[in-house]
Amino acid sequence: MNPTEDQIYVIIFATLFLGGIMSTFVISMVFIHRQRQTQNRQKMDQVKSEHEKTLLNIENEIQQETLTHIGRELHDNIGQLLSLAKLNFGSIKPEKQAEGKEILAQAIQEVRGLSKQLNLDWVESISINEFISQQLERIHATGFCETSLAADFELIDLPKDQKLVLIRVIQESLNNAIKHASPDQIKIRIYENGKGKQILIKDDGKGFDASQESTGSGMFNLKKRMETIGGGFNLTSAVGKGTEITLTLPN
Amino acid sequence: MDDRFIEAFFNEYTIPMDLLLMIGLICFFKLPKELRANVHYWLPLLIVVLSVLFQNVGFYTNYNYEFKKSVNAFLGNTQYPQFNLWLFNITDKQIGVLLFLGLIRIWLAPSKRIYITWMMYIFVVAIVFLQLSGIELMYLHQPIIFALGANMILVGCGLYFIGMITQEEYLDSNPLKLVSFWQMTFIMFTFSLSYISSVALFYLYKVNPVLGESLQTIGDIMSLVTLGILTLSVASPHISRIFEKEPSYESN
Repeated sequence: MNPTEDQIYVIIFATLFLGGIMSTFVISMVFIHRQRQTQNRQKMDQVKSEHEKTLLNIENEIQQETLTHIGRELHDNIGQLLSLAKLNFGSIKPEKQAEGKEILAQAIQEVRGLSKQLNLDWVESISINEFISQQLERIHATGFCETSLAADFELIDLPKDQKLVLIRVIQESLNNAIKHASPDQIKIRIYENGKGKQILIKDDGKGFDASQESTGSGMFNLKKRMETIGGGFNLTSAVGKGTEITLTLPN
Repeated sequence: MDDRFIEAFFNEYTIPMDLLLMIGLICFFKLPKELRANVHYWLPLLIVVLSVLFQNVGFYTNYNYEFKKSVNAFLGNTQYPQFNLWLFNITDKQIGVLLFLGLIRIWLAPSKRIYITWMMYIFVVAIVFLQLSGIELMYLHQPIIFALGANMILVGCGLYFIGMITQEEYLDSNPLKLVSFWQMTFIMFTFSLSYISSVALFYLYKVNPVLGESLQTIGDIMSLVTLGILTLSVASPHISRIFEKEPSYESN
């Protein structure tokens, strides 16, 4: 074999080698793609099942909260109304009897209102603005603190899963404010900025150090829940300076 | 029509190429207006049109020797008047490479497109510099420019394949049913299989012209297959049963 033949063989084998490398590369890419596709599908299934699990937990929590509320209403409100009605019916005076009937009608009205809350159908019929108003009214009615709601628009037409998560997160944020912050005022604002639609829950309570893990775990849970619906949760707080929670709605 | 004309324009290479161009044009003009304006369809057709056009001009230069000789003389090449490398250098090795880079660019995720854009700028600056400085003359073999362009195309194809295994949009689809996958695969094969023979073209023609021509044939066949794939890309909306819709990075 002379040097020229050698060079020609090198050229032939180099061409074949390059072709081989390219074939191996493309085939490997297709195999890696298949593997990653399977992994991705498993991941998506896991995310979906976690999402469903979160929603189920949220539904349970809302029902639990509703039952607690109904229990309190039965004891503090309807129980009182029925006792009053009983007293009035015990009287022989016709005006007392009439008053008893009115109180009984009021109690029936209250029971009807409560019965509607026993299943989660109300979630679909209520807007987020209405829900927030009701929650703030309830807090205000207890005389715990002043409340206010300022909304630039009505949050309607949200999918049920998003609504459930939002309701629960708002409920939990308000519960936390009442339980731990002792505020004089709770303000909620619904607005839109460059990041999208947002809900700001602000209290002027005692605040806390948000960097501490013990106080942050509940908040982490809320954040995770907002993330399951593609939204965002941001909390800023400092001791003595109140707490601000910003919920970013999914686009 | 004389025999030489028929031999020049009606051979086993030009006939399939001209047919592909015709099929490509018919399929393109049958596309809805909004698809005709989409770069994913007009750019492959532009490459087919340009390739077929310069191949035919190349065959014409072989048919009309005087014309070829006068162009060579105009460019300062009196030593090899039989060469028509100037035509292939400008169209296939320079404009063609830029168009292929442009084609690769449109299939990449927006964040990766900047790399191809920079490659295109560097390539243009390099070819202008290499030709003006006389390092690679326009009418002679240009191995450096070919190697540079081919490497850029291979890197671009690599970026596409990396995107294919990392981007969520691509993970949802079957690559074997994507036009972009076959385009990138055949572009990569064309440039890698013809790499050695193109770089060593001059050497092979001097030492072993038969082998040189054989290796060149591999490149020609691969170019035909690539043109076929590009024509198929233009026709893909008409055969949606075979090809899946491309993952939507964003159109254009």
